[in-house]
Amino acid sequence: MFQIIKNEWLYYSRTRLFLGISAGFILVLLFSIFLGSYQTQIQTENYQTAQKHLREQWESIKEMNPHGAAHYGTYVFKPANLLSSLDEGVNSITGNVLRVEGHVQNEIVHSEASQMQTISKFGKLKSSLLLQFIVPILLIFLAFSSISNEKQSGRLKLLLLQGTSPLQLIFAKTLSVWLYGLALLCTTILVYTLLNIQNINSEIMSRAGLFLLTYSFYYFVISGLTVFFSARWQNPTLALTSMLGVWILWTIFLPHILMSSVEKWHELPSRNEFKVAMKEDRSKGVDGHNPSDERKKEFEQKVLKEYGVDSLSQLPINFDGLVMQADEEYGNMVWDKHFGNLRVVLSEQKQSYQLGGILNPFISLQNASMGFAASDNLHHQDFLVQVENYRRDFIKMLNDKHAFGGSKTGDWSWKAGNEFFKSVPDFEYKPTSLATVLSNYFLDFFILGFWVVFVLMLLILGTKKMQVL
Amino acid sequence: MKNLDIFLYEWKHFVRSPFKMVALLLFVLAAVYGLHNGASLYEKQKAEIEKINQKAEAQIEKMITHYDKGEKSPEGRPWVNFTTPFWAIWNLPTYHFKAPSPALVYSIGQAEQYGFYKQISVWASAYDADMAEEIANPERLQTGTLDFAFVLLFLLPLLLLILTYNLKSAETEQGFLALIEVQTASKNTWLLSRMAFYIGLVLLFTFALILYGAMLTHVFEASSNAFGQMLFYSFLYLIFWAVLYYFILQKGKSILGNTLQMVGLWLLLTFVIPAVVHQYVSISQPINLMTDLIDVQRDGREKLFAQPDSVIDNQIFALFPEIKGSKLANDSTERVRLRNFSASALANNMLKEATTPIIAENKAKNALIKQSYWFNPLTFFQNQLNAVAQTHFQDYQNYRNDIERLVDKRIKIMVLDMWNDEKVDKDKFLTYHKKLKS
Repeated sequence: MFQIIKNEWLYYSRTRLFLGISAGFILVLLFSIFLGSYQTQIQTENYQTAQKHLREQWESIKEMNPHGAAHYGTYVFKPANLLSSLDEGVNSITGNVLRVEGHVQNEIVHSEASQMQTISKFGKLKSSLLLQFIVPILLIFLAFSSISNEKQSGRLKLLLLQGTSPLQLIFAKTLSVWLYGLALLCTTILVYTLLNIQNINSEIMSRAGLFLLTYSFYYFVISGLTVFFSARWQNPTLALTSMLGVWILWTIFLPHILMSSVEKWHELPSRNEFKVAMKEDRSKGVDGHNPSDERKKEFEQKVLKEYGVDSLSQLPINFDGLVMQADEEYGNMVWDKHFGNLRVVLSEQKQSYQLGGILNPFISLQNASMGFAASDNLHHQDFLVQVENYRRDFIKMLNDKHAFGGSKTGDWSWKAGNEFFKSVPDFEYKPTSLATVLSNYFLDFFILGFWVVFVLMLLILGTKKMQVL
Repeated sequence: MKNLDIFLYEWKHFVRSPFKMVALLLFVLAAVYGLHNGASLYEKQKAEIEKINQKAEAQIEKMITHYDKGEKSPEGRPWVNFTTPFWAIWNLPTYHFKAPSPALVYSIGQAEQYGFYKQISVWASAYDADMAEEIANPERLQTGTLDFAFVLLFLLPLLLLILTYNLKSAETEQGFLALIEVQTASKNTWLLSRMAFYIGLVLLFTFALILYGAMLTHVFEASSNAFGQMLFYSFLYLIFWAVLYYFILQKGKSILGNTLQMVGLWLLLTFVIPAVVHQYVSISQPINLMTDLIDVQRDGREKLFAQPDSVIDNQIFALFPEIKGSKLANDSTERVRLRNFSASALANNMLKEATTPIIAENKAKNALIKQSYWFNPLTFFQNQLNAVAQTHFQDYQNYRNDIERLVDKRIKIMVLDMWNDEKVDKDKFLTYHKKLKS
């Protein structure tokens, strides 16, 4: 079998067209990795400049009422991710700026897609675009005539007479093509690593390794299936058109249809419905600005009892800070309920879509690719949750300062000093752990593994019915 | 051999080729699915607008009841006074919509990237958080919805490829091209006639599909132009690909070689070139993180209110010179209230100044994209179809401009009436409602 693989590669290396296409393709691939990394670098610089600018503004507050500071708030920018130079995933669709302030959990805004007209339906020239759409086509073109040509030229009979088993031949042809795909993959990862060598860590390397593994599974499926068609059909053109049909179905048709369908099966609320429902639930709570609120009165009695005084003016602390924090905590329950529901629906949509991989391994590839490149919705949601947790800590610090910083109830003119504002920590994004990613993408891995086994079975069973002449 | 004969032979060839028939069927099915996706979004947006309108009407009814009963304030909010222009306008719910065009059935375009309803207030801006897209799965948005435009732009060239990939080269490979040459005056005319058959076939189906789409959302009732333009761009796009394929088929000698070249061209024009342009635009014009806008919304406002009263007054007078001679211009007892309530005009002015460079930057990005049209036809056609369906970036920019105009109008009416000490009753409130809607 090794000899056949060697011969195949020898044949490739002697084919000018193949060499030309490969050289051109590798150049485009290298160009895409370089551009991807360069774009990430620019994004990171912009992100850091913006974040630094906002932090400087926060730290330069000389004195301000803590509640005023909660309304002044701050902003968090979605950081660029080193791996997104391989696969940008949802990053150009989602917003990049999130306002952090009191009383409300805001939504992320200002996406890249909203700042210009449509350019490409399949995203930018990232490695993933080439690896997902173009490399499989190359593999199909390499493999579609691998067996049928042997049949037509009569070499197949000769090879079998020399002692090669049909199964060996088919496997060798599949592996030859697959190894070509693998070589392109390895080139991609190697160049990516070299370009980002200063920032590479074990986490990124593990993710890049899993990225490579996922694609190698998919390439085996494509190579094996094409060789199978080549072995079954007498006519190589028929093998090519069949496989092109499969490619169109897998990469163009099914992902769009399935994704649109899962959104219908697990429906998300409209923004208006979502806001109205939250507003209703929110209005039931303690309103920090509404003195007529019944809950506020109950809360007031509780605090007075706790401090053993009869009126708010006797309290050694600022009751306004306490009531605003209580209101925040009620609000947090409301956000958790509604934003939590959204995340549940999104997660149901994702699971249904992942199951679509059973029909279409390209879906599993796309899911896992985005997941390992940290540019999928899971990472996006994780970022939003981290910002919300930060907002809660941020507002609590301000409300606590308002309550216990030395002012009395009703004193809205009291101001905290610069030292306090400097002591409020800045937002720090903690990347989603690989373990979380793996647990979410195990299904896609499993389905790709299933497809590999399925193609192996097809190759084994298919060779039994292969016509030698 | 006459053209009609060639057409008839080609028809026979086509109906005897299950592969080509299936390809056409799949194309039609995908297009119908895409049209229904467009129609579904159109209906969804219309229903949402209707719901919001009903909610706004209910709020207006409530306000009218207050006026009818002579109530100046809602319960528990004694500081509110509905008879003053400020509180009347504050409590007047005005929404501005980007009403979907029936032609949305053809191209969803950028409709899912922006909000399509916005509550107008004196503090509103066209760049507020509620101008973001509807709640949707980002992975679905990234994959994109399969709409008719997608089918047309990506699958139509593939369909044409499948229908024509073996024209002439099959005869060459089977060795009877010379025979055909003898029977026809010219093999180029023969090939052209065969191509014309498939162009006609695809055009016929495309016309039927566009007509079907028009019936789904009543395109003709709203605008007959959209139908004609859609047909025109579809025809142009079809001809564009047919010409490219014709030259490949004319020069090519083998089915495999032709298929390779046609698929390669398709990949280049639909995937690679738009992706390269997209990447280039993102690098040369990186995403705007809107820090200038943030500065104005936050520090700008802080600074505005920190100014001495006399400076604020002068700024308000400079913005509305008419109020210098107004009823309350010299009333010092009312000055603080009027100044505070008019401050939104100054904040709005600052916001507009901050958004001007953002608009200019977006314009520059779009100009850069347009410069690529001559070698990036897919993006050209995509944006033309979006423009027909009114789901183009510019349509949403116009929507934002309209919002700004309505905010300006609202502020101006409020400020002028406040300084002129206008009293608001039910009739005046309804006049506001009418005036501020559009």
